[in-house]
Amino acid sequence: MNMTPLFKPDPRLDLVLERVVDAPRELLWTAYTKPEHVRQWFTPKPWIVTDCEIDLRPGGLFRTRMQSPDGKQVNDRRCCYLDIVPNERLVWTDALLPGYRPSGDPFITAVISFQPEGKATRYTATAIHRDEATRNNHEEMGFYDGWGTVLDQLAQYVKTI
Amino acid sequence: MTVATIPQTASPPPIDGIFRALSDPTRRRVVERLNRSPASVSELAEPFGMALPSFVEHLKVLEGCGLVRSQKTGRIRTYQLAPEPLKLAENWLAEQRTLWESRLDQFDAYVMKLKESDK
Repeated sequence: MNMTPLFKPDPRLDLVLERVVDAPRELLWTAYTKPEHVRQWFTPKPWIVTDCEIDLRPGGLFRTRMQSPDGKQVNDRRCCYLDIVPNERLVWTDALLPGYRPSGDPFITAVISFQPEGKATRYTATAIHRDEATRNNHEEMGFYDGWGTVLDQLAQYVKTI
Repeated sequence: MTVATIPQTASPPPIDGIFRALSDPTRRRVVERLNRSPASVSELAEPFGMALPSFVEHLKVLEGCGLVRSQKTGRIRTYQLAPEPLKLAENWLAEQRTLWESRLDQFDAYVMKLKESDK
């Protein structure tokens, strides 16, 4: 069996966040895989999750409908689970719809892994992003002369607030 | 992005509008001017030698994407920069990181709450 690691983070595109929580990993797993729990924490406030559906099997649906505080902006994301090892690893992507059908707007694959550490749990959240998505994003922003400078100034300004 | 992007992220990108607004040199100069202090429409328009209605259109674009705010006192409308959207205009990956950091903060707090209620 090939034991080469499958995933190599690209610092320009990917995120690897590691944390330790003082709770057993079974509890973390529950909080990650039951809709009533996911609703409580999945979207950074002040946005809220108004709807969550989970069909916990490879190829199954992971849907979160997120809404801005004024209700005007909605982001309804339907993802597909790829890998499910209870209490150990959870992988989903929006590159596929449930039932493995390719989606039109791929952006992310998320890998969450849990490891016991005494009575606590070390968990890693990895966000793997599509190269083209970032490039397109940047093209839309447009690399016009001078906006880099503007943004530098803006960033400075923000720090003073 | 906070939210982020969500486009793509948790917050679908108002960032597109921000960058469209900043793609115009007149509007960038207005933002640079407002970076120093708030200013009235006539103060802002003065350096450009542009018909006022056209200039006001630029201000509307900036206000529409949330980059600036305005306030009317008597007959004078004053513009100022709005800090929140500027944070969205930071580096794309930084925005994703912010999203995940706050998501995981909430996750950790929630798990601790579950643990407490299990006892």
